[in-house]
Amino acid sequence: MEDDYYSVESILAENQKIQCAFKIDIADMGHLDGGNERDIKAQSKIQVPMWMAYILIYSDYAEFTIPPPFSARVRNALNAEARSVRLSSLVGQGGLWYGFGIMIMRLLSDVPAHELSDVLTKTFRSRLPEVIDQAHHFASIHGAAASASGSGGGTITSDEATMAFREGLDGTERELFVLAQDSARRTKRWYETSERTRRS
Amino acid sequence: MALPPPLRTSITPAELELIACEQLVEIIPLVAMERTAFISGAYGPLRPPAKCKVPIWMATNLKLKKKCHIVPPEWLNVDFLQDRLTRETTQPEFSELPFRFAEVAKVLLDVASDDVTNPDKVRSLLQDIREARQSKSREGVSKLDHSELSLPNLCAMEINEIRPFFVRSMGVLTQLVRQPDQGQVDEMQ
Repeated sequence: MEDDYYSVESILAENQKIQCAFKIDIADMGHLDGGNERDIKAQSKIQVPMWMAYILIYSDYAEFTIPPPFSARVRNALNAEARSVRLSSLVGQGGLWYGFGIMIMRLLSDVPAHELSDVLTKTFRSRLPEVIDQAHHFASIHGAAASASGSGGGTITSDEATMAFREGLDGTERELFVLAQDSARRTKRWYETSERTRRS
Repeated sequence: MALPPPLRTSITPAELELIACEQLVEIIPLVAMERTAFISGAYGPLRPPAKCKVPIWMATNLKLKKKCHIVPPEWLNVDFLQDRLTRETTQPEFSELPFRFAEVAKVLLDVASDDVTNPDKVRSLLQDIREARQSKSREGVSKLDHSELSLPNLCAMEINEIRPFFVRSMGVLTQLVRQPDQGQVDEMQ
């Protein structure tokens, strides 16, 4: 997430591929596409990882298209109900949707970058309360789900919804989930344990 | 860093309790003791019928040896807490409570519940207040902003509980929000 030289996560986020359309012929680089061609022809579209795309785009060798995780279709879905979109399935399990978004944002010019920033911010803010809520009540949600399945077929739809939401968390949200869960657990333990034995 | 991740972001509840135990509390001593110097200061002298102010850690220590009664602070009683609970549930903002009330209340109720009037009622009131405030701080999550968050009257334990993920999510938001000055520079060009 952070744009830090030493951050393993930011290196991993750069592994996402985006589609680039080359503007010029490049000799002997056909293997990038995995095909049998020897050279890259102008106008050909090739998926390249972000870390390579930067230099291609900045050197004006290629143009890029907005990748599918940030397409209009996804944006509409996020606008309708951000909490029902599975971010993790957009960028692969444990993927960093926000991190990827920030990278794309930096490549874009002013107006579209602003739009993307709005989408990212709005999505994050509308999903955050649900993330924290679930983290705090994880034990009870889990217990309810277990007892529901134990009682035989009495599945509750809201349980499935929370489960689906949790599976749809992107890497950054997962991290927040764990942070919230840990601190809630620690505080709860403190409230519940009596110190009397330790003191006397 | 060698610290596990949860400890990097905030201190533990037990550490907060330790800090809170430096606060002074009134005791009625049952033993006499001359004024004695400790690292944090000199306390005493203890003259049995007279009240005396000592740190909570010392009060609990004496209490467990049955050498004093602890006078609970004026906010640790049913009437005051009932009033705060009513305010907490009827008004949108956090009501005013001592900054370290959760820690102090827990230590005193653990060690000297016989000195507090109606300790079970006090316990359940504290629990209710805690839950009411928790739901408010959860609402605060939706108001989260990349630059500031104002939640007045939040107490040490509550701040500590929400700190790790509030700080992290504000960090994320900072990155998601595009710097406005950057946009203005682009417009001028």
